[in-house]
Amino acid sequence: MSPSSENIKNSRTKKRYRFIIPVLLGLIIGLIGFILYISKAHSYLSDDPKACINCHIMAPEYATWSHSSHGRNTVCNDCHVPHDNFVRKYYFKAMDGLRHATIFSWRAEPQVIRMLKPGETVVQENCIRCHDQLNSVVSTAVTAKQARHGEGKLCWDCHTDVPHGTKRGLNSAPNARVPLAETPVPEWLDKMIKENKHTNKD
Amino acid sequence: MKRKNLLIVILLAAFAFGLGLLANSIIQRRAESKVLSYQANKLNPFESVNEKWEEFYPREYQSWKMTSDTTFKSKYHSSNIVDLLEERPEMVILWAGYAVSKDYGTPRGHYYAIQDVYHTLRTGAPSDTSTGPQPGSCWTCKSPDVPRMMNQVGIEKFYGSKWADFGSDVVNSIGCADCHDSKTMNLTITRPALVEAFQRRGKDIRQATQQEMRSLVCAQCHVEYYFKGDNKYVTFPWDKGMNADDIEKYYDTVQFDDYVHKLSRTPIIKAQHPDYEVFELGIHAQRGVSCADCHMPYKSQGGIKYTDHHISSPLANINNTCQVCHRESEAVLAKNVYDRQDYVYNLRNRLEKQLAKVHLMAKFAWDNGAQEAEMKPILQLIRKSQWRWDFITASHGAAFHAPIESQRVLGDGMYYAMQAEQGINDWILKKGVTAKFVMPDISTKAKAQQYIGLDIPKEKAAKEKFLKDVVPQWLQKAKEKGLLITKN
Repeated sequence: MSPSSENIKNSRTKKRYRFIIPVLLGLIIGLIGFILYISKAHSYLSDDPKACINCHIMAPEYATWSHSSHGRNTVCNDCHVPHDNFVRKYYFKAMDGLRHATIFSWRAEPQVIRMLKPGETVVQENCIRCHDQLNSVVSTAVTAKQARHGEGKLCWDCHTDVPHGTKRGLNSAPNARVPLAETPVPEWLDKMIKENKHTNKD
Repeated sequence: MKRKNLLIVILLAAFAFGLGLLANSIIQRRAESKVLSYQANKLNPFESVNEKWEEFYPREYQSWKMTSDTTFKSKYHSSNIVDLLEERPEMVILWAGYAVSKDYGTPRGHYYAIQDVYHTLRTGAPSDTSTGPQPGSCWTCKSPDVPRMMNQVGIEKFYGSKWADFGSDVVNSIGCADCHDSKTMNLTITRPALVEAFQRRGKDIRQATQQEMRSLVCAQCHVEYYFKGDNKYVTFPWDKGMNADDIEKYYDTVQFDDYVHKLSRTPIIKAQHPDYEVFELGIHAQRGVSCADCHMPYKSQGGIKYTDHHISSPLANINNTCQVCHRESEAVLAKNVYDRQDYVYNLRNRLEKQLAKVHLMAKFAWDNGAQEAEMKPILQLIRKSQWRWDFITASHGAAFHAPIESQRVLGDGMYYAMQAEQGINDWILKKGVTAKFVMPDISTKAKAQQYIGLDIPKEKAAKEKFLKDVVPQWLQKAKEKGLLITKN
């Protein structure tokens, strides 16, 4: 084999790789974009509670919250992410979100979703954040860490039903209507009103 | 070089494969969401037979069926029929010339809507489809058969028919399909009047949030409405606003009156049941609370939570209604409600008596030769006063839903009624009428009805014949059409 023929072969394989690698990279970029899109990734930057039911297993949590006394003036993030500073908030969101996404993707969700320690710490902070001025009873402000060491109780050790009720589980609210982006006027009525020239103008 | 490139390709391919799996998992999970939001039920669109929904939604159905329970009583209200004309014979005088003076009871649960509309003397006793006093519009809020029939015959035709035309079609009481879409179980609007009222105000009801829908489904019926024009088109008078004054302005502009008073000849606007309008003016609505929050609270059964469809007074269930937000004891909360009701009812009782008096005094003036021009301003005052009295009275929950607004409206009503009395007294003085005005004896329902010239025994006999002869035929036909499972 002459050196020249080896060179030709080498450049051919090179050409082939030059072709495959960019294609794969393009595929990966495309897939990442697709995943960001179908997972509604941008919604997780907001405080909209609807983002939390992108995964349907959170529907009972959403339903029970919306039926509770907290359903009017608070959203999920008011309690479940830290609010003392921006960096900590988004770091916590990212960690919690990735953990949830992983569990959800592996279909490893437990029958009853329970908070972990970091979540408890944050929720307890947030109970105090709102209620120390509204309600002097909690001005003693036990932190989750203290509670774990037996130096006081977590708020929901006593207020067990706030705000999600005492029945927990993936199946606890089977018929809950969590908001879906659908028109409340049925098609037939919509059509009839449009067809019906009776506009009732006075 | 070659190996390195191969390794890169393998790694990239593996990564792309992993991403593909992730994307697949997300798509599957979203498909699950979609499936979960669409109900695996075998219900047809417009399924009006409530019993057929039980198989798929047993808890909701069974709690709905509990609206047949008539045992609850609070200080002022009851879940059973209370004959209000018997309790308050003045109301017979106020409604002289209108069908409610024949029969007016407090409302029972949704379960009884059809039965009660059969039994009330107001619907008369049609012997066939061409007789009877009421139009098809009177069915509008009684049954999930209504949207089904409207879809079949058209909205205008439905309203413009006779009530008896749909005797064998409208047979199931207010239930599932009135508020729920059978495919998604989402809340839905099935009555055109609400959608049209929103349109005329430049609002799109499709933009309503879930929380707003939890009131708007009720606002399809629990509102002030009137029958517009000859084909009795059910219309909400909200074009100028939704409080008593704005609605009155609307009616004055279109020169509408439900009836001309038989004794005083006042053109009267009869308030229907402006529950939603009055509620919207109260503090609970202003803080974002919906009808369902208090009238249909969450309920637990075993490990399941669901919305209690036994719609009734929140006072029947303070633990799951008021106490979700308010931490006071049940006794304190009930007292808070009753205190507000006491104040409103106190004023209402006085206005009711005063209004009966001015109607009778106006009759006295007519009897003594009063002229139309002299009476016109006085009758306007009576119209304004009675509209205000009725707006709060006919909205059964007004005293609690919006106690401040209720007292404002009743207060204005009292002001107009006092002015009317003053006007008549001035006229008597000016004309030197020597006869004395004497209040007739209207101390009982029977006496008051006799005084305004109603022949109730005759009406009752006709009604009994109707219930015995006509209604069973309707139900029989409905069964043949497969519209009825149980006989009410």
